[in-house]
Amino acid sequence: MSDREAPFFIGWAAMPPGLRWFMGGIALGLILFLAGIAYVTAATQDDPGQGAFVGRANATGILQAEPYPILHVTESADFALGSALLLTGGGKRGVQGRAAGLDGALVAVSGARIARGDIAALQLRGGEAGLKALEQAAITPPAVQDLGRWRISGEICDGKCYAGAMRPGRGLAHKACANLCLIGGIPPVLVATDKIDGTEFFLLAGPDGGPVTDQILDHVGLLIELEGQVQRHGGMAVLRLDPETLKVIP
Amino acid sequence: METAERLLAIGQGYLWIGLVVAAVFLAWGIDRVEAKAQGAWIFRPLLLPGAVLIWPLVLWRWLRVERGNACPQAPYRPPLTAQRLFSMIVIFACPAILMGALLLRQDGPLERPAVQLAAPQEGQAHE
Repeated sequence: MSDREAPFFIGWAAMPPGLRWFMGGIALGLILFLAGIAYVTAATQDDPGQGAFVGRANATGILQAEPYPILHVTESADFALGSALLLTGGGKRGVQGRAAGLDGALVAVSGARIARGDIAALQLRGGEAGLKALEQAAITPPAVQDLGRWRISGEICDGKCYAGAMRPGRGLAHKACANLCLIGGIPPVLVATDKIDGTEFFLLAGPDGGPVTDQILDHVGLLIELEGQVQRHGGMAVLRLDPETLKVIP
Repeated sequence: METAERLLAIGQGYLWIGLVVAAVFLAWGIDRVEAKAQGAWIFRPLLLPGAVLIWPLVLWRWLRVERGNACPQAPYRPPLTAQRLFSMIVIFACPAILMGALLLRQDGPLERPAVQLAAPQEGQAHE
């Protein structure tokens, strides 16, 4: 066959009859190859877990403003009594401003429920529809129970994304997002590799029990080891971490 | 306005200008720059994202053509001498970076036990 007679493929021109089978094979092979790549890529990803937004929820309870706003549920059709909820605002915003002045008060909250295993968060609606102080006699907040000083490994995540606002809401790829959430005031949680007192989620606090965001940003999204005092505030385990002991596990 | 908002506003402004430049260039300017593009429309949407991103370069090259400063032979010149070297570097660097990252990333053991360093302090933590 001379060069003049050899079929020549041009994208916009009609397919030369001699190339139909060859081009069909190439096209089919590419489809199968790329489908295989897609399958292998998807199959090798970590399971993002069952965390998700699970609809509107309401609760009444005692608000704890420090280290980050949480609610100890005293009455709710959606949450177990005595459980504790991380409170967040929309997007990457915390609700420190709205919770200020309400520490220890009985409040009614409403918003979008985010749940993942033992960890639960509530993205509050705007204004008083989301967070409203109730005119009722003060209720004693749950007593703080000390669980001792521990050395724990795990990953620092932002409580909202990890609870299910993002899938996956953890890992190195999620570090920048998590840091922006934490800077915005979302409560940080340590997802530990071992359980203490039956829980592997710990709300992080500074050594003085206040917020700790600025000191942990470099260690978010990595497997780290830290030491701190573990306490139980009602249904929420709180870890008062010692920032000096934070280190990345190689 | 916070720094992040300012950066976002700058980026948005850049892209909006880019959209206008790209729309004008692809609807009208490209016919004046490249004779072979006249009457051909299907491929133009494909150039839109790139033109939006590098609109200053598009505008600069377009102005050069309009002012008669562009060398008509430029599109037919052979690749620059260093182009082959750079393409080889990219070919080897991309897999090396990917494999290096996979080798260097944290890799367990993930099941590390928690160690109690001090017993609970009765009474002290109660507030």
